[in-house]
Amino acid sequence: MVAQIFQSSALLLIVALGGLVAERSGVLNIGLEGMMTIGAFTAVAARVLGASPVLAVALAALAGVLPALLFAQFALRWEANPFITGLAINLLAAGAVPFMSEAFFGTRGSIRLPAGGGVPIWSVTFVALAAATLVWFGLEKTVPGLRLRVAGEQPEWLRANAVGVKRYRLLGLIVSGIFAATAGALLALRIGAYLPNVSAGRGWIALVIIYLGYRTPPGLAVAALFFGLMEAASVRAQVMVAVPPTVLLALPYTLTVIAFVTYSAVRRRRR
Amino acid sequence: MLFLVCTVGATLWAAGGTETAAGTYRIGVFVPGVVDGSPTYEMMVNGVRAAAEEEGNTEVSVVEGGFNQATWEEGVMSMAASGRYDVIVTSNPSMPEIALAVAEAIPDIRFIVLDGFLEGHPRIHTVLFNQREQAYLSGFFAGLVTTSSMPKARPERRIGLLAGQEYPIMNEVILTGFREGAQAVDPGITVDFRVLGNWFDAGKAQEIATDMIGRGSDVILTIAGGGNQGVVSAARERNAYALWYDDAGYDEGPGVVVGSSLVRQDHASYESARAAIRGRIEWGTAIILGVADDAVGFDTDHPEFLKAVPPELAAEMEALLERLRRGELVLEMPVPGR
Repeated sequence: MVAQIFQSSALLLIVALGGLVAERSGVLNIGLEGMMTIGAFTAVAARVLGASPVLAVALAALAGVLPALLFAQFALRWEANPFITGLAINLLAAGAVPFMSEAFFGTRGSIRLPAGGGVPIWSVTFVALAAATLVWFGLEKTVPGLRLRVAGEQPEWLRANAVGVKRYRLLGLIVSGIFAATAGALLALRIGAYLPNVSAGRGWIALVIIYLGYRTPPGLAVAALFFGLMEAASVRAQVMVAVPPTVLLALPYTLTVIAFVTYSAVRRRRR
Repeated sequence: MLFLVCTVGATLWAAGGTETAAGTYRIGVFVPGVVDGSPTYEMMVNGVRAAAEEEGNTEVSVVEGGFNQATWEEGVMSMAASGRYDVIVTSNPSMPEIALAVAEAIPDIRFIVLDGFLEGHPRIHTVLFNQREQAYLSGFFAGLVTTSSMPKARPERRIGLLAGQEYPIMNEVILTGFREGAQAVDPGITVDFRVLGNWFDAGKAQEIATDMIGRGSDVILTIAGGGNQGVVSAARERNAYALWYDDAGYDEGPGVVVGSSLVRQDHASYESARAAIRGRIEWGTAIILGVADDAVGFDTDHPEFLKAVPPELAAEMEALLERLRRGELVLEMPVPGR
């Protein structure tokens, strides 16, 4: 059960941490889902072409930078609406990945790695821990991290000190691209295959986790763990209680909303 | 008078032949999804193509409906309205309803719907597969495996079934048939039934399957579309077996996937397309095909099956198939909605 909680929360946490860095810099990246897909495909493609698992994840992370740069070009330089830009990134990934898959592997369906070609399921948890530490340290304890946060909250302070705001937002977007693509890569390698729709909405849940975790790395870790706990519980409950499984499958979402509302109500009263 | 008949006849003939050669039978195949990566739909398309090739003077075009179920009716409607097809062949339990709506709206289109059941409409013919037999075959085999001395079989008499979603046939026919089959081997076997909630989240399927294996299942039947791959990964990592449904899945996980029950969509689509071309189909009827019709089976010939499964188990499966073929064991498929 504990292992299962970590399994389901780890991936979400990695994506959410990336999204958090972009969000704190002042751009909400709703293209996380598409970036995950790009990472998943790149990692499996790299493995098929002979890269080691570590190299495959690294290449996927690099591939995640591309949509981030595209996002930045539109949303920062050309000042397009970031929501529309994020949606466009998702649509781009949904179209480009099957196209590349068809071009390189002759299929729009699944691409399987041979037995043992992936990564063990527990490895993702360690990457998530490392990512959480890294983001916490980067955001809270370094000067660029501080400036990035200021870019999100009081951009005029940076401007007053002749520091570029967009530079830090670009950094935020690139970090979110790298993290989302890495999570996608780990997901695909954990399964040992690239499959259409493999990200399965995790990029969207990650956005929820950012706010559920009150926009701090430790908060995100708690929120991801809570969601993972609900997921594991809904899976386990299917064999323990006589409620239709489909109802139980909706529980993580329902309970998360209830918990969030309760928690923020209690917090407000204490103030 | 003769002249008039000739003129009208010629006009009609010309109208019918504006797009293709006269008398060409035109079949449209509507795939609710995409063909790539779906052996079931691949089989359906191949069967229709084979029939067209054999009969000659027949055109086949394939239209993919994509994964968004909400757009299927529109897709089929525009196919039918184009007037380019004499018959539309499709497959999926949700398609009879769509075929009915389209047939009501467009007067001369005909439908062959596989894997669905609808009787009584004069232009729709449906072919349903006996999924109780199919699930029984899977369950019987799972029962044999979990009680066997195969290397990954454990002493607990517990087997698993992971479904993409719950739907009446899943809950009332497949799950029941699966349990029935397993308990025919040993009445003490219990089934761990879980639902993924969709047909694509392989990551979550992997987590669920890992939990199922941890709770004692050593063999899992997976009917979860793209999620199946997650079950294979979990089974490989945690030393268990997976069973495939509908098509031979041995190559999806060599050494892990040790059994596959089959639905021969290619046979069914071939037979019904051929009958349609020859004008011999009984429109308005709904038929149910099973093991005896060679429409449902269990793949006991695949090299991976022969490698992984002890010969005495394979022989027991053959014997079960033979009993079903001869009608010594009758497993009737409950008709949906009746």
